[in-house]
Order: sequence, then structure tokens, then C-alpha cells
Amino acid sequence: MKRSVNYALYILPTLLLFLVVYAVPLVVLVGTSFCSWKTGGHLTFNGLGNYIQIIAHDDVFQAGLRNNVIWILLQATVNVAIGVIFALVLFRKPFYWKFARTVYMIPSIISSAAMGMLFVCVFNPEFGMVNNIVRLFNPTFNQNWFMSYDTAFATVTFTWLPYAGMVMLLILTEATSIDRSIIEAAIVDGADRLQLNLRIILPLLKNIIGTCVILESTSMLKKLDIIMLTTRGGPGSTTMNLPMFIYKTAMVENNFGLANTAGVLLTLLGCLTVLLINKIFSVGKEES
Amino acid sequence: MNHLEQTIDERPNRGYRALLALLSVLSVLFVLFIFVISLGPLLWVFISSFKSNTEILSSALTLPTKWSLKNYAMAFKLAPIANFYGNSVIVAVSTTILNVVALSMSSYVLARFAFRLRGFLKNLFGMALLIPAAAIMQPLYLNMKTLGFYDTLLGLVVCYAAFSLPVTMYIMMSYYLTIPKELEEAALIDGAGFNQTFWKIIFPLAKPAMATSGVLAFIGAWNEFQIAMILTSSTSKRTLPIALLYFKSQFASDYGAMFAATMVVVIPSIVVFILMQKQVVSGLVAGAVKG
Repeated sequence: MKRSVNYALYILPTLLLFLVVYAVPLVVLVGTSFCSWKTGGHLTFNGLGNYIQIIAHDDVFQAGLRNNVIWILLQATVNVAIGVIFALVLFRKPFYWKFARTVYMIPSIISSAAMGMLFVCVFNPEFGMVNNIVRLFNPTFNQNWFMSYDTAFATVTFTWLPYAGMVMLLILTEATSIDRSIIEAAIVDGADRLQLNLRIILPLLKNIIGTCVILESTSMLKKLDIIMLTTRGGPGSTTMNLPMFIYKTAMVENNFGLANTAGVLLTLLGCLTVLLINKIFSVGKEES
Repeated sequence: MNHLEQTIDERPNRGYRALLALLSVLSVLFVLFIFVISLGPLLWVFISSFKSNTEILSSALTLPTKWSLKNYAMAFKLAPIANFYGNSVIVAVSTTILNVVALSMSSYVLARFAFRLRGFLKNLFGMALLIPAAAIMQPLYLNMKTLGFYDTLLGLVVCYAAFSLPVTMYIMMSYYLTIPKELEEAALIDGAGFNQTFWKIIFPLAKPAMATSGVLAFIGAWNEFQIAMILTSSTSKRTLPIALLYFKSQFASDYGAMFAATMVVVIPSIVVFILMQKQVVSGLVAGAVKG
């Protein structure tokens, strides 16, 4: 009897944190996603009304969902690939490897709001670094990277796509723990760099690559800060994503019911992403 | 290295050798690209932060004619950056302590003892990984307001401590499993109770795991933007990442001060990272793999 009281006391603080921050909001989220609820108005049950409205008729939501899925796909492939390739380069321990590791980690360590701010400055049409470099060759060049329809999406994507510090770090750590004798045996057998990387090292890294893919793609479900500081989802809804849509709908338009419907869909998108990636990576596991 | 080059030369196939040569050229370019994108923006903003506003507009790519700290003085004058700083330190430190102490207790019970709700609780807490903070934005805001946590640092601490809950739990649990059970049995024989055993024997032993998860909780709280933006409104309660939003929206015409403010936010993170690289790196790796 005494024991279970102790257990309960030790779990209580954690349970309270969970209830206050996750459980209660989650219940409210799911419940009100079926309701019509605007500021000052009453909660009225609306059935699937919000879901139908948002999926079938809301252009902004659709754009947000589409962009979010594209960003997840890009992050799961291009971003992870960049991290893996850089880790493989550093794994051969070139003289600069420690320095390079630190340098590449910096963008991942500073707050992503600060990254957003750096890029706001770098891509500024008047005094920004990018436009001024182009102007060395073409003096009349003027491009408002974040604010014109044709470049906004690509520019926002650039603020996170090449930065795979975490992936590099995880792959490098895992690669270093590979048994040296396997690699030496391959070299004795005449494997060159390419073969060594493709046939020996990469297959051994499969699980950690799966972890990286999950990590990087789910990071796209929370990108609000950079978008908030750069484009706020615009111009139009070219750089809208679901977190920005939820923020706008809930905090600016005060349409809570609709925002919470989008919240449920964002959560589902996350679960689906994790499930799919797990499936892709464990199907391969059974084969080998 | 030498081994590898020899084997390349022995290959008879010329096309394949050309491919390998091409790949090594590409990998040099790739490394250069990585250096440029990692350091370029940062160095450029750093250098520009010492220029006057006219110089920023007229000669964006040159070094400043006079290295002046005026922009920094201006940044501190325009926005209460010192205040934001203080808030960030308080919030990040309190978050780390709350998260690590609460989770060291619950993870101990969850890792060590069999009881009816154990599996359920573990899955329940793990579920937090699947709920993006952006999704529950409005209900969380409402909940915090109802509890009186709106626009308080305590509200931020509670949220951030919960955000790091699952990762800390996984790190702590797997660490507890490596502590031999004999220690607790010996303590029991010596007459130590449950509380004594935990606080005198287990808690001090779990320091490495606490350091790892503490680093993660700290970084998370230090960098968090979204919840800080939603849950605070008065300047006296805002944290450092929000200072940037402040500059972007209100002082966007004073470029120099904007550059300086960005550097003020970024530099401490970089310095701390370089000084504590070992701990941070091992924390990040453990957090990602276990989470």
C-alpha cells in the first residue's frame, strides 16, 4: 500500500505537466474541431462542417497543406541526403573535419527565429548580401526574394533545406561506431571510396538514416518562427504552411473552431508521416 | 587514404576512374558550399553590424570604414534587450530544473517497478512526441489563461518543461536500467526507505543522464519562439527570440540596430555551443536517437 502511494507521488509532477500542456488541450482540440466557435460567439456543434469547409473550400488551408507536404518530402530526401553526404566526407577525417563539424552545427544550434532574421537581412532587396553580389555582375538587378510570387517559396525553403547539422552529427557518430575491421577488410579486398560508401557504410547506417528522416520531416510540422519572421505565409499563400494557418485563423481571425480542425489535421499528418517512414524503413529491414 | 588511392589506380576501367575523379571534385565543391552557407550569412551580418546605416546601403560588401559599436548601443536602447535576456535565462534555467527533477522521479518509478498502470503511463507520455505544439496552440493558450499562467514566465516554464517530457523520459529510463539493482537491495537491507534510496543513492548516480537531458531541455527553452509569442504580451515577460520579431516589426528602418540585435541573440548560443560542445553533442545525439 505504502509503495503505490510512493509511486503515485513520484509520477504526479510529470503527470500534471502532461495533463496541463498536452492532455487537456488535446481533448479541447478534438472536441471543438467539430464545433463552430468564434470569438464572442457560442460553441455550437457543427458535425463535420469544419472538416468539409476546410478541406473542400478553404484555398488557404489547401495551399498550406500542399506546401507542408512538399516541405516534408524535400526535408526527408534532400536535407537528409545533404547531411549524410557531408557526414561521409567528414568520416574520412580530412584535416578540417572538426572545424567543419562545429561550423555546420551552428545554424542548427541557434534559434530558428535568429536564422529567419539572418536571412531577412541577407535577402533584403536593397542592402542584402545576395542582391549586392549579383549587382557586381548586373548593376540593375533587383529581386525581392521573400516577397515576389516566383521566388518566395524557394527562398523560404532555402532557409532550412541545406542545414542538416543534426543529420550530419547523428550519421557521423553512428559511422564512427562501425567496427573498423569491416572497413579495413573491404579496403584490403580492393574496395574504392565509392564502393566502400555505397556497399559497406551506407547499408550499416540504415536505421540511423531512418531516425534522421523522421526527425527532419517532423520538424516541418512546427516551422512557424521562420515563416513568421520572413513572409507570414505570403505573398498570397505561396509560403503558407499549417502552423502559420493555425496561427492566423486562431490568433488573428479568432476562428477557433476552424483553427482546431486544422490542428487535428496537422496532428494526423504528423502521425501519418511517422507511420509511413517507419514502414518504409522496416520493410527493408526484413529483406536484409 | 593511401590504400584507397592505390586501389583506384589499379582499376582498369577508365570510365569508372573518371567517375571517381569527378566525384572527388564534386565533394570539394560540396564542402565549399557547406562552408559558404553556414558561415556566409552569419559573417556578413556580423561585419555589417559595425557599419553605419548609410554605409550598409552604399557599400554592402565591403568592410566597415570604421568599426563602431553604435548599432549595439542603439539596439539596447530601442528594445529592452537586457530585459529579454534576463527572462530567457530565468525561463531556460527553471525549465531545465523542473523538467529534470520531475522526470528523474517519474522515470525512476516507470523504469524500475512493475505496477498496473506502468505500460499505459509510458505510452501516454510518449504520445507527447506526436503532438506538434502548433496543433494545440489555441487550446493551450486557453488552458494557460484559465490557470492564470498567461503572460507569466511560469507559464512558459510549465510549457517548455512539458515539451521536453518525452525525450527526457526516454533518456532517464534507459539510464536507470543500467544501474544495478543490487544497490537498491543493499540500501533496503541497511534500512533505507523508498525516499532515502532514491534521493541519496539513485538521484546522485543519474547525473550523467540528467546532464544530457538538461542540455536538451535548456536549448529547447532558450530557442522557443511560437509559444513565447502566443503566451506573453507585455514586454517585461518576453524572451530573446521574440526580441527579433520586435525589431523586425517596429525598427525595420534602422538596419544597423537590426543587425546588431540579431548578433546579440546569436553570439551567446554560439559561444556556449563551442565551449560545451562535448556535452551538447552527446545530448543532441542521445535525444534524437532515444526520442
